[in-house]
Amino acid sequence: MKLSHSLAVAAAFVTAAHAEPLSFDFKDPKGVNNVVFKLDAPLESINGTANGISGAITVDPANPGTASGKIVVATESLSVANPMMKEHMLGEQWLNAKANPEITFEVKKISDIQKSGDKGEADVTGIFTLNGVSKEITVEAKVTYLPGRLAERSPQKTPGDLLVIRSKFEIKRSDFNIQPGKNLDKVSDEIELELAIAGAAPKG
Amino acid sequence: MAKLLQIFAVLCALAVLTLWFGLGAHSGWTKTQVATQHIDPVTEIPYSEMKPGFVPGVDFLAAGLLGAGLFFVIGFGISKLQKKKTTS
Repeated sequence: MKLSHSLAVAAAFVTAAHAEPLSFDFKDPKGVNNVVFKLDAPLESINGTANGISGAITVDPANPGTASGKIVVATESLSVANPMMKEHMLGEQWLNAKANPEITFEVKKISDIQKSGDKGEADVTGIFTLNGVSKEITVEAKVTYLPGRLAERSPQKTPGDLLVIRSKFEIKRSDFNIQPGKNLDKVSDEIELELAIAGAAPKG
Repeated sequence: MAKLLQIFAVLCALAVLTLWFGLGAHSGWTKTQVATQHIDPVTEIPYSEMKPGFVPGVDFLAAGLLGAGLFFVIGFGISKLQKKKTTS
């Protein structure tokens, strides 16, 4: 009985020693990770997606409050169905993709964490950079930790974990110096962003 | 010649209208890419895959009808000139 108890305690220590932060890489080889953006102006509604996502988040699944890292979206990957609209959107007058090739969100603080098994919700505060302008914002995020599920998405059956992050939030283009106050009848100031991304942490 | 141009203009207008209505009567701008929706089976992330495709929009409709109208007017002008020539 004592031996089995000691073994259980030892096993708990080994498990604790291995519960170290995992680094999740968000460059998805399948290209599934995406951000949907919606602008609903009185005269025109613009919908588009961006899938040039990369970056990494380091998180200890047992202690998600200490998470840190950065999510990067390649500005050039922003796409709308109309090619001329896309050209204008990425041009100098609007997002100026050549001068500002990346849109980033750097995690600074995780608060109000609500965990339920491998799923959780939290408020994530970070520095959002768009059009070369950085601003601190707080967004609600839903997180799903999928331990041991990486192999199902990897052609090489690489063992590891997945972390899925979903978030829906709104920004104002005027806050990021994108033609503030101009063309408001066709390009709304409010931009609704819907993020759905999965990061992979290979093991071994 | 004038009659031919006018018939061509009417056919053009009909073709443009048929194409626009037939491909969904899309009220936005013309699209050269079409999105198909999918869901990743493991992460359950919904994503759209863009594939080359053509969806005519109101700009296509306007340009097509304007072009057809132009042909019709030219045909009408030519027939007027021809009538003037024959009467004088």
